[in-house]
Amino acid sequence: MDSPFLEIRGVTKLFSKVVANRNVSFSVGKGEVVALLGENGAGKSTIMKILYGLYRADFGKILINGKEQRIESPKDAMALGISMIQQAFSLVSAHSVAENIVLGTVKGLLNRRAYERKIRNLAVQYGFNVDPAAIVRDLPVGVQQKVEILKALFQNASLLIMDEPTAVLTPQEAANLMDFVRRYAAAGNSVIFITHKLKEVMDCADRIIIMRSGEVRGILPRAGTDEKELSLLMIGHELPPLPDVSAGALQAREMLRLQGVSVRDRHGVFRLRDVSFSIQEGEILGIAGVSGNGQQELCEVVCGSRPLASGRIWLDGRDIGSLGIRERIELGIGYVPADRQRDGMVMEMTLAENMILKSSYSSKWQKRPFLDRSRIRHYATSCIEAYSIRTPGPDAVVRGLSGGNQQKVIVAREVDNGTRLIVFDQPTRGLDLGAIDYVHKTILEERGRGKCVLLVSTELSEIFALSDRVGVLYKGVLQGIVPKGELTMETIGLQMAGYSTSGR
Amino acid sequence: MSPRFRDMLLSIAVAVVLGLGASAALLLFLGRSPVTAYALLAASVIRDGYTFADIFVKATPLILTGLAFALTYKANLFNIGAQGQFYMGAIAATAASLVLGNRLPGPLSLVIVFVAAVAAGGLWGSFVGFVKAKFGANEFLVSMMSTYVALAAMNYLLRTALMETKHEYPQTNPFAPGLWLPIFLRGTRLHAGFILAVLIALLIWLLLFRTAFGYRIRVVGHNSDAARLAGIDSRGITVTTFFLAGALAATAGFTETNGVQHMLVQGFNPNIGAEGIGIAILANANPVGVIFASILIGALKVGGTIMGQTSGVPASIIEIMEGFVMIFVILSYFIRSGLEIRRSKKELRRAQAL
Repeated sequence: MDSPFLEIRGVTKLFSKVVANRNVSFSVGKGEVVALLGENGAGKSTIMKILYGLYRADFGKILINGKEQRIESPKDAMALGISMIQQAFSLVSAHSVAENIVLGTVKGLLNRRAYERKIRNLAVQYGFNVDPAAIVRDLPVGVQQKVEILKALFQNASLLIMDEPTAVLTPQEAANLMDFVRRYAAAGNSVIFITHKLKEVMDCADRIIIMRSGEVRGILPRAGTDEKELSLLMIGHELPPLPDVSAGALQAREMLRLQGVSVRDRHGVFRLRDVSFSIQEGEILGIAGVSGNGQQELCEVVCGSRPLASGRIWLDGRDIGSLGIRERIELGIGYVPADRQRDGMVMEMTLAENMILKSSYSSKWQKRPFLDRSRIRHYATSCIEAYSIRTPGPDAVVRGLSGGNQQKVIVAREVDNGTRLIVFDQPTRGLDLGAIDYVHKTILEERGRGKCVLLVSTELSEIFALSDRVGVLYKGVLQGIVPKGELTMETIGLQMAGYSTSGR
Repeated sequence: MSPRFRDMLLSIAVAVVLGLGASAALLLFLGRSPVTAYALLAASVIRDGYTFADIFVKATPLILTGLAFALTYKANLFNIGAQGQFYMGAIAATAASLVLGNRLPGPLSLVIVFVAAVAAGGLWGSFVGFVKAKFGANEFLVSMMSTYVALAAMNYLLRTALMETKHEYPQTNPFAPGLWLPIFLRGTRLHAGFILAVLIALLIWLLLFRTAFGYRIRVVGHNSDAARLAGIDSRGITVTTFFLAGALAATAGFTETNGVQHMLVQGFNPNIGAEGIGIAILANANPVGVIFASILIGALKVGGTIMGQTSGVPASIIEIMEGFVMIFVILSYFIRSGLEIRRSKKELRRAQAL
């Protein structure tokens, strides 16, 4: 029998505090698409990084075409035909597409025209609409991902590893990507994609490897399984359904109101144009849209970290348009930012220290002239319990927490800061199902307490599951707001792509 | 003793030994016996109480300029201008001392002199913070260049307004003895400035790790994006931190003029700012660590001077030695974190029976 393209035998990887992989073994055949399914922190990325030479295994072997190989760097991996597309792209944003693609594979003088022609042919062959001369910085994320893929193809990769490839894509782009994956595999190549989205797995994979807590918990052919079985293997228990969203009675009081809000970026380009809406107490307004269409700007202008170009914002009847961030925090606006590690927390500090990030000016944490450390720790401990944050304790540095637990820290803090309004920007991005479920429940609970919630998400399922009303942002313009009962996936999908259905 | 703390002490000790070893190789190269040189170095430091106390005299300004770098470093700012802030403090302390003379009781005038130095250095430093906060100027360059301005101002004043009455040398008249920082160890030069410096280091530690303001400094230092979204006024923090850094370096100017020289001499202590940076790095910017790092460097300085005077080994060898020790201590941080990872991996392997 032919040996598979890749075989991993008994790989174990220890980090200083955790076992990231324990005795992981599986194989990937030629022409096969394998999905690596698991929650965050299940060890999917770790095993792939070992395969790509970014980490080194403590035990175990990697065989390529039946021969044991030592992969000590991405260069070794690439020489064996293994390419990896990471979640955070490794492109030089100031360089052109072609320059990025040939990076690392060329020496001496560059024949730009020849390379651009070769890349253009490659792009056409796989149906990618990419201009080799374009500067990467100017390209949307979806296209940047195609550049990454082209880079792998240019290097004649025969195994493509993709880490959460659809996280940044629209449903249509994701479908295109899946088409590519099938076509690429049909040519005798192999694909491993890391994901925690069950739907993608069922759409595309030939075989599914499920990981949980660093171990392989099952290897199943797609044909013989279903989403229920997979999710059970992945999280180890069944998730209870979300409580019925329509349960909360809407109250009449208007909490947040935006009127004619426009925002420009540094170059004077409109990022938000004439956005108007209002949210009542105990209401969740969901904002859908492909990322980069003004969602972050909307959140920031509400929270005060971005100035208004024109328009007005009222919170609980008070004009807050000219107030600073700190004043708005004190008025009771909580904000869970999309990029939690950059904007929401200080990775080098402890959990307790992160809990007071937004309220360090407040006298409640002070025992003048010092910080009231026992009170802060007590508060952190109560949050750890209330949100079942998995951590050694309030003095643990948050860098050591998993993504889901980091997000719980921020959610716990912002739910308390946001006594009137909580802004959630992509609150579940990159989280595992258990954590997503927890965050969703928290959002609904806060709504039940009469808080007003602005929820921005690129996950339509999330918008549908939680929102009372839904609006779509496209190129900074709000495409009309519809109560949840009146909308369908199709209309929203069209609005996300810029076909306005409002006014009809 | 926790294994981490043990590692720290051990690795620093090893680093010092390696630094001395590397310098020994250099001594051999010069045709001197390192054994006799080091024996002399050790013997001279503990030769008598006066010399031993001098270690702490030398450490005093180093603690303060070390803190002047460490504090801003915690806010991810680089204060390369401690030398100039030191001179501004020295000028202000000197001017105040000369004006006050014997007019007021000693302790009161010392307080006034201290306040004058702090104000001068603080304002000098906050200028750097101000242009950084207001215009986004690079604080590294501005603070570095501000040193040359301070130096020129000092040279000018020492040839004009502050020049001694004899008009012979570019230095001031000696201060009235009431304005000298009191000696607290009889028969030595060890003055109250050392206690002041240690107290200030402890205060800076409290400020950084126990107050809301220090918390915000560290937040800004670790993640300025998150700080901004948390409504933390990082510009205000930049200005205040630079004010404090300037005040710290200026305090060193005060302890040197009023504690050691009792006058202002042109171009004195020309490396105190640079050494402060090295000490802050040596101490990993920890204010308490700065105290010990300063004492270590102080000991090398005192021993080196005597070694140079008595054995004919060039005194500059001691600066090379300081450099080697610093390099090895910095290397030891990386080795230590490697050790830490290996140890916890081993524990994990044992616990998981792998």
